[in-house]
Amino acid sequence: MLESAFFNLFAGLCVLSALGVVTARNTMHSVMFLVFCFFNAAGLFFLLDAEFLGVILILVYVGAVMVLFMFVIMMLEQKKDELKSSVRQYLSLGGVIAVLLLMEFVAAASSGVFVHGAHATAAHLGQQINNTEQIGQVLYTKYLLGFEIAAIILLVALIGAVVLTIRKRKDAKYQNISAQVKVRREDRVRKVRM
Amino acid sequence: MANVVFPYPFPEHLTSLMPEIFVAIAAMALLLIDLFIAQDKKSITAWLAITVSLIAALLSVNVMQSEAVTAFYGFFLLDHFAVLAKVLICLGTAFGMVLSIQYMKDEEHLGEYYVLMLFATLGMMLMASANNFIIMYLGLELMALCIYVLVGYQRKVLRSSEASLKYFILGALSSGMLLYGVTFLYGVSGSFNFAGIGTGLAAAGADAHTAIMLGLVFVIAGLAFKVSMAPFHMWTPDAYEGAPTPITAFMSVGPKVAGFVVFIRILADALPSLQNEYTMILTGLAVLTMAVGNLAAIAQRNIKRMLAYSTIGHVGFIMLGLIAANTDGYAAIMVYMTIYMFMNMGAFAIIILMNREGIPGELIDDFAGLSRVRPVYAMAMGLLMFSLAGIPFLGGFWAKYAVFMAAIEAGHLYLVLYALLFSAVGAFYYIRIVKYIYFDEERVAFNFEESSPMQLTVLVTTIAIVVLGIFPGPLMDICKQALAGLL
Repeated sequence: MLESAFFNLFAGLCVLSALGVVTARNTMHSVMFLVFCFFNAAGLFFLLDAEFLGVILILVYVGAVMVLFMFVIMMLEQKKDELKSSVRQYLSLGGVIAVLLLMEFVAAASSGVFVHGAHATAAHLGQQINNTEQIGQVLYTKYLLGFEIAAIILLVALIGAVVLTIRKRKDAKYQNISAQVKVRREDRVRKVRM
Repeated sequence: MANVVFPYPFPEHLTSLMPEIFVAIAAMALLLIDLFIAQDKKSITAWLAITVSLIAALLSVNVMQSEAVTAFYGFFLLDHFAVLAKVLICLGTAFGMVLSIQYMKDEEHLGEYYVLMLFATLGMMLMASANNFIIMYLGLELMALCIYVLVGYQRKVLRSSEASLKYFILGALSSGMLLYGVTFLYGVSGSFNFAGIGTGLAAAGADAHTAIMLGLVFVIAGLAFKVSMAPFHMWTPDAYEGAPTPITAFMSVGPKVAGFVVFIRILADALPSLQNEYTMILTGLAVLTMAVGNLAAIAQRNIKRMLAYSTIGHVGFIMLGLIAANTDGYAAIMVYMTIYMFMNMGAFAIIILMNREGIPGELIDDFAGLSRVRPVYAMAMGLLMFSLAGIPFLGGFWAKYAVFMAAIEAGHLYLVLYALLFSAVGAFYYIRIVKYIYFDEERVAFNFEESSPMQLTVLVTTIAIVVLGIFPGPLMDICKQALAGLL
């Protein structure tokens, strides 16, 4: 009873905030709606006993990805009338995709695969261990090699991003450390006879 | 928390990962060492990186066991096939670095350039040893990510950035297709392990047939992108033309070796129950690849683009080994890749040396009259081109001979006849370059930027293809022995 009440709350707010994302005039408001939408989706994950996914959704998407979105939007100011014309431009294609998706969802929901209780979650299987612990146990043991390679991929991404964007500006001031260290008192302080 | 029991003991056979661990640590150390090397002495970084890749090749041979070993709970497989592939990959990287020393000497941030090449090598080595879709995919992405950056390394050159972006977008698309296919195979078999998928698919019922076929098609399409089979070859000419020439040489060898190793492992271990289906798909792709590669190469004016299409054509011939689907066919692929490495590295070395009044000699016309100015280079280029065309008693002939014989023995006679036809078409555009070199008048003054590493590369590769042309036996035996344990 309580579970379905929470489900309706999170799911309803999720849909409403998603609507807010596409209808808001101000792009910043759209982003905030999306953040709210992610929080509600995380709530749905918690209800499914998938608390690891819920926490990751908040940490990665809300904490990192959406902040990046905000930076980008603040840097690239978009004019409002451009937005209006683009809505009309993409309405037909977007409409077709939306109708197709709706049909898929209806077909999936009525297929009989997703009936209540068919897919028991971890808690219902009587597991004494939560899924964060379970992931932790295999991530650093069985999947250690993959985990390490993923770490190297991140390092490469970091090096690559720096290499492709770094540039030396002629007008920029650089610190010459060896010159600074070599400086002697006589170079800087001068005794003036008054 | 006190009673948490770890279900997995400490991984065994860690020494079999020695070459990979060495490359990873050396690359990170080089990243730091490079900071202390002055801009005008950056060739020290290059030579250190070359040493690292050669040591990695030696270590790969050194950790080889008489039997295949797995490490990390079956995720990592070390057999003779993987060792052979790793040696080839490391040699390809070393050649690519030797070619870079002179070509890249005026670029900034050279340390990162060599470090990225080492990380790409690490990715390829992991692909060669992958026994599992997870490690294979991570290795693939590690390699691809490094190469996207390396292709776009000359930021001031517009076509370099453009090539990098095109390659990145198409590469990401192909990774998506590959992963989509893997999800189907995982869904049916419940395993990421190649052998586990093999048994899972063989035991699957008839209702799983659609899912298996979707998985097969998407996995093959994703891998076909990576080794540039037509019709998934579109990125190749642009990426080859735009990339710095040493990177073009680098990406025409190592990534292809790694891609074909993964292809062989997946076909032989994971999909043996679908041999009829994949033979049909690969035959169609091979017919198209040979035609596109060899016909489009004729129309090219830029030699890097021409060699890109020639790579596609060679991939078409190599696919005959996959279609043969037996040890001989797979061994022939490795013979082909070894000889192809020498031919391509030599040809690219001469292209890098070509310089007409400061403009890199990338047009085919630029070779006109080379024999009168530099008879030695002209002869080397002539031999390399004859070898690429597959003229008898040079290395390239035995490469083609090996795959063609394997395919005929597996009963694909008509496909081999078709391949022979396009091999003849291919001979036309290779020999056209020889015609330019020997029979055309010199138009603009040559201005060779010579250096001993480049001369050494030309010398080593040309001697290698001549020697392999006269004594192909040992190489063929090594490849056959390496592949013997696979099936």
